[in-house]
Amino acid sequence: MDKVSKIETYTTGPASVQTDPARLDPIDALIATLGLSAEDAAEPTAVVGIDKLESVALRLRQAGFMLLDVVGIDYSAYVQPRPERLSVLYNVYHPYDHRRLFLRVWLAMGTALPSLYGVWKSANYLEREVYDLLGVVFTDHPDLRKILTPDDLEGHPLLKDFPIDETPTLFRDGRFLDPAAFRAGMTGQATGLSGWRGSLRRGEGKGDIEPPVMPAGGPK
Amino acid sequence: MSLKERQPKSKQPESIQQESSLPERVGSLTANSGALMHTEIMSLNVGPQHPSTHGVLRLVVDMDGEFVIKVTPHMGYLHTGFEKTFEHRTYQQGVTYAPRTDYLHSFGHELAWVLGVEKLMQADVPERATTVRVILHELGRISSHLVFLGTALMDLGAITLFFYCFREKEAVQDLFEEVCGYRMNQGYFRVGGLSRDIPDDWAGHVQTFCDTFDKHVDEYASMFATNPIFLDRATGVGVITAEAAIDLGLTGPNLRASGVPLDHRKATPYCDYDSYEFNVPTSQKGDSHARFLLRLEELRESAKIIRQALKRLKPGPVKDPNRKISLPPRPELESSMEAVIHHFKLVTEGFHPPLGEVYVPVETARGEVGYYIISDGGSMPYRVKIRAPSFVNLQALEYACVGGQFADLITVLATIDPVLGDVDR
Repeated sequence: MDKVSKIETYTTGPASVQTDPARLDPIDALIATLGLSAEDAAEPTAVVGIDKLESVALRLRQAGFMLLDVVGIDYSAYVQPRPERLSVLYNVYHPYDHRRLFLRVWLAMGTALPSLYGVWKSANYLEREVYDLLGVVFTDHPDLRKILTPDDLEGHPLLKDFPIDETPTLFRDGRFLDPAAFRAGMTGQATGLSGWRGSLRRGEGKGDIEPPVMPAGGPK
Repeated sequence: MSLKERQPKSKQPESIQQESSLPERVGSLTANSGALMHTEIMSLNVGPQHPSTHGVLRLVVDMDGEFVIKVTPHMGYLHTGFEKTFEHRTYQQGVTYAPRTDYLHSFGHELAWVLGVEKLMQADVPERATTVRVILHELGRISSHLVFLGTALMDLGAITLFFYCFREKEAVQDLFEEVCGYRMNQGYFRVGGLSRDIPDDWAGHVQTFCDTFDKHVDEYASMFATNPIFLDRATGVGVITAEAAIDLGLTGPNLRASGVPLDHRKATPYCDYDSYEFNVPTSQKGDSHARFLLRLEELRESAKIIRQALKRLKPGPVKDPNRKISLPPRPELESSMEAVIHHFKLVTEGFHPPLGEVYVPVETARGEVGYYIISDGGSMPYRVKIRAPSFVNLQALEYACVGGQFADLITVLATIDPVLGDVDR
């Protein structure tokens, strides 16, 4: 057998480069090189126009950055005014020199963004998630479908105007579930929609149903 | 010969039993198979309740004969809207939700959440709390990797190791129970420290566990690492190159198995990880075999970190003394009006961080976890985005399985090691 037959020895990764202060500086230089404006924020954030997004992403990809996350944010209920209602943040990171950059795009409701799937394959699920939860459409995405919420859920849950209080649930086959009536049925206060516990307790229609009793001599 | 004519003949038992006619029959079948047989792409449904999917994941696999040509994962069965729930709970209450995402390494998510809020609040975490966090974080990694080893090898047919791994996992869960009362989904960390101090004899119990643990790792290795069946099924299966891993956004052991030595404990140290001595195992092979053995090595490294942390465990406070963040000690409520007011405000309302957006990456057993927290100055976060490593890592499945056999798909899925709670959130 020519395959490996014992545990191979593993090499140790290089020591931390984060302690070298010179390595931390270039992120500002990088933002300037890309022709972007840095945001005054705790994390290094740069604002990109929608038209420049793809070219900036491509240059970052060529510099060795990887796309770790795409964050969609609805700023409509924020305390401070924001340029647009929606914002999409791209969390990019360099796996060798450990620089991190957040690319921010501002967009109004209904505006489409170019998909970055052609730049980073990891954009596939991440953009589908933003599409699912916030309704941002990514043009040229190869497979833009909902990913987390059920197919028959209408609306985008992470928008600030999505109703979060109890709402009646409509299933695909037309079945309708009213939470208040359902709960009342479970507690036995009304027949409700459960048709099981509530009706047995009240014995509606057929007179009171006798509870089952143990036969003499115990269970057989 | 048409298909109709051929079928009854092949069913005749004597033609199969006659050894001399068998090679001839097989030979003629393969030679003309293209013309004889009707072939089509078959869609195979795996899951969502299949044990090898490690949770509720549904895969639609397009097969050309024995070979996988396309994998389409369907997830969301465990989606409970954690990110939306976070927006309607105080920051301290968020500690309850964070561990429920990745329920196998729950301390990793808990730590990521707490560190993010602490960065927002500029909280000052005492040294003892940080050290206990490191111990629990690494114990969580051990527990998670043990589940991985046991269940992944069970998927390959090696059932015995499962029981050995779960023997030690039970011991780790006993340690969790001892320190915070819960075996899973602990919720033990607090913004600014820990919910309460560790029991007096707990450090000794952890020490006892660590003293014998390296021997157990050798035991696991002796049970599968040289097994020819394991080597056949894992070596060269599901290869992910370093270039592809970066393209797919992989992090954690899956990325390191492909040769990229990224570990946030070294790269962007949190909890004083830069003061501990440990190695980051990497491999250049990028196949399932490398992913197995890499996690085995990580078990030893985690035990090494815990042994160092136990040595520096000194008595001291476990909470930030700032009364705007931590609850006052119980006896103080009887003598101080200030303490009563702080207690009331923290319990009913919670604290108010300044406006801002923070992100602190943490290396869990699955990769980079980070909570992107947006504060609008209220007592509840404006928006929380969980960077879930399993969700991103799962994309490698579509890449690494294509061209392999169906049995290899199970191997690759097991070694990518997703936790479906982490995928769906």
